[in-house]
Amino acid sequence: MSNWIPLWVHKLGSPPTFYRFAGIVMPWMMALALLSGALGLYGGLVLAPADYQQGDAYRIIFIHVPCAWMSMFIYAVMGVSSVIALVWRIKLAEVVAMESAPIGAAFTFITLVTGSLWGKPMWGTWWTWDARLTSELVLLFLYLGVIGLYHAFEDRRQGARAAAFLAIIGIINVPIVHFSVDWWNTLHQGSTVKLFGPSKIAWAMLWPLLTMTLATKFYYIASLFRRVRTDLLALEGGKDWVREIARGEDDR
Amino acid sequence: MNMHALQVFLAMGGYAAYVWPAYALFFIVLIADTLDPVLRRRRVLRELRTRLARQSARQGRSSGVTPTPTTSP
Amino acid sequence: MSHAGTSTACAAMLRRDLTLAWRRRGDITMPVLYALIVTMLFPFALGPEDTLLQRIAGGVVLVTVLLAMLLALDAMFSSDIEDGSLEQLVIAPQPLALMLGMKILAHWITTALPLIVITPLLAGMLHLPTAVMPVLLLALLLATPLLSLLGAVLVALTAGTRRSGMLLALMLLPLCVPAVIFAAGAVAAAQQGLPWLAPLAWLGSALALAMVLAPLACAAALRIALDA
Repeated sequence: MSNWIPLWVHKLGSPPTFYRFAGIVMPWMMALALLSGALGLYGGLVLAPADYQQGDAYRIIFIHVPCAWMSMFIYAVMGVSSVIALVWRIKLAEVVAMESAPIGAAFTFITLVTGSLWGKPMWGTWWTWDARLTSELVLLFLYLGVIGLYHAFEDRRQGARAAAFLAIIGIINVPIVHFSVDWWNTLHQGSTVKLFGPSKIAWAMLWPLLTMTLATKFYYIASLFRRVRTDLLALEGGKDWVREIARGEDDR
Repeated sequence: MNMHALQVFLAMGGYAAYVWPAYALFFIVLIADTLDPVLRRRRVLRELRTRLARQSARQGRSSGVTPTPTTSP
Repeated sequence: MSHAGTSTACAAMLRRDLTLAWRRRGDITMPVLYALIVTMLFPFALGPEDTLLQRIAGGVVLVTVLLAMLLALDAMFSSDIEDGSLEQLVIAPQPLALMLGMKILAHWITTALPLIVITPLLAGMLHLPTAVMPVLLLALLLATPLLSLLGAVLVALTAGTRRSGMLLALMLLPLCVPAVIFAAGAVAAAQQGLPWLAPLAWLGSALALAMVLAPLACAAALRIALDA
């Protein structure tokens, strides 16, 4: 590859180096996630005042909104590493893309269910065919399709490349779905519920929200690294560095 | 007074039935997401160890007859 | 050895696939039969009231045709993978994307076209007003090739796996949502006496885009899935 990429990036791309690097970073990320999560939840559940319109039900946003952001953020990460995996055939990028998918699916699932739990008391229905909700549901199906395709192959690297291709198709698809559902809603008027009016959010509510967002980001890094480490062990089972680890943990 | 404050907190202004399940789901899903790779890692390493044990046993048996081309152990 | 010209190869490809399909005529009739059965079940399930059936007719026919196509999608490349002719196609000197485009066209002619032909019958069973019929046919003429093209990419991706129709459905669903929305939207608009050209224009532009990009994507996907 061209020499404008610094050497440490190349080194980090090699599985044993990344395994060690991730092993060092992961506990710190998890600690940061727990710390900021605890702080954010304390701020959100205890310190923040009740909303004058929504009462205490609005407190669901402290997990709903960060999870919604993460569901899209993780898809973007998956898409970018899919492109890297297909263009440069870097094994680590394949692993990152494929191990991001379950985490993203988990966040999408949380978003959908907490959205329902918020929607029921607020606008009296568990579900409405709004563009946001429908796009989120389609996103869940995209994640599930990627995971399903990955596991349908017997050769894992081949499966990873096929699923990476599907992930890239999905990135093009999501905005199209959002647009078409928006259009569809204007056609079928009556079921349009104004979900998010333009509103200014008070600082006492905003800082817990941002802290929780940070917590989910840290959590994602920790979880991703944990998954990538496991996956690298499985993929590189025949290599010496993995055997040493296997021997080192004999005492179970 | 303290008990009362806790009860008020848990009641969530009447929305407890919506708020707490949401938070419970959040934690359950993320804990499951955390545990999955931990369990998988254990399984992968256990399989690897049994494979290594089988390999070294086979090498130990065959080395008496013919010197196998030594790959690094 | 001289390479056959691209247009000759395209024609040969199309002729081959159509001949193969014609030899197994029974397979062509299966999706048609399926669509007929599904459409027939709706009045039994919902009751025979004219107004209700009229209201849902467009959507029911569209979804039925979509499902019938999904049923046949799995078979698009399967026989070619079994006898190895797909690998031959991949290493052939002619551009793979063009050859796959021909295969997709043949598949559309053998599965979607019969469905479009019986659409007036299906819609008639549900009392769709005759005035709306041309819009429905036009929507199907634009939506079914789009589905064939999108489906072909996904079928190519699953080419290296053991067949699983459920996975294909899971992967296709997010992709076909916009097509269904615009096709059904056009029919619904026509039924309400609203202008119906805009959604069809969107469908048409999507089809034009897919016609160029989908064969290329299909070729790339096939190369990944068959990975030499």
